[in-house]
Amino acid sequence: MLVEFEQIQKAQAGDDAAFNQVVAAYRKRILGTIARLIGRPEDVEDVGQEVFLRLYYSLDQLRTPEVFEPWLYRLTVNASYDYLRKQRRRSESRMSDLSEQQVMMADAVAGGKISTEDQRQKQVKELVESLLGSVSEQDRILLTLKEVEGLSLKELEKIYSVNENALKVRLFRARQRVLSAFEATKGGAKPGRRKEKKYGAMG
Amino acid sequence: MERWDSEKELDALFASYKSAVPDPDASANFMPELWGRIDARRSVTLRVRKLTQVFVGAAAALCLLFAMIEVVPTSTHPEVHGTYVDMLAATHPADNLTALGIAPHDPAEPTTK
Repeated sequence: MLVEFEQIQKAQAGDDAAFNQVVAAYRKRILGTIARLIGRPEDVEDVGQEVFLRLYYSLDQLRTPEVFEPWLYRLTVNASYDYLRKQRRRSESRMSDLSEQQVMMADAVAGGKISTEDQRQKQVKELVESLLGSVSEQDRILLTLKEVEGLSLKELEKIYSVNENALKVRLFRARQRVLSAFEATKGGAKPGRRKEKKYGAMG
Repeated sequence: MERWDSEKELDALFASYKSAVPDPDASANFMPELWGRIDARRSVTLRVRKLTQVFVGAAAALCLLFAMIEVVPTSTHPEVHGTYVDMLAATHPADNLTALGIAPHDPAEPTTK
């Protein structure tokens, strides 16, 4: 916990200064997670504000301090998912094809031939975001939380309120799809967005 | 074997993605804008709550009004307890009914055809 539970209790009681402290403690981490979940830096703050807005209006439902962080992550996941779904509706093609440069990047990653650090990071970002575009928004979020954010299955269980086995199956399938897209990219193909079976919302 | 290599490369790619997209610092406007959104929703909530109160009040007043309409007329006629036929018999004695041609049925009287 980045804040004492007393601070959260004060915020629950309507103490705005305490709420500000809670936001200040978690803001950077949450914005970072959102940045990696949605992949659009210009909208990170907007989604972040939505997360803390939802937090403000649902704080009174929190009963125990242990669930605060998984619960905040859940709000983050839900807000990011809503954003991604809206974005998808606006532009179906956004998460579709890789540019030639990205294909070259995939080759470079595979061959270890990369020039400057900044360029490499930019290319890694573009490649990963393109690969994550080959799975559904829900799987993209789940995979990012596990593989990039490094959350454990136990933590994911708390966030999604589903059992570990269901998570494992879903993670495995999502990873396999991304892996196939990655291999296709290495082979020079462009990973398109797969038509896939719609899963029910998790959590 | 190739699949295994790809798995490793993908792990490395995910690992480097986190450093490629570091946690951003919030802008100076983050908190003011957040409070602006909180206040905006609060005012909408208050407005909805106020409207709800008005509707509930109006519904309660209407209920009371209908209840009064239902209760008050019966309370002004405390003698009315029976059915319509009982009331008719009570307010119109038998001779009046006979005069009107509505003779009360007397089971002892023989019927004529």
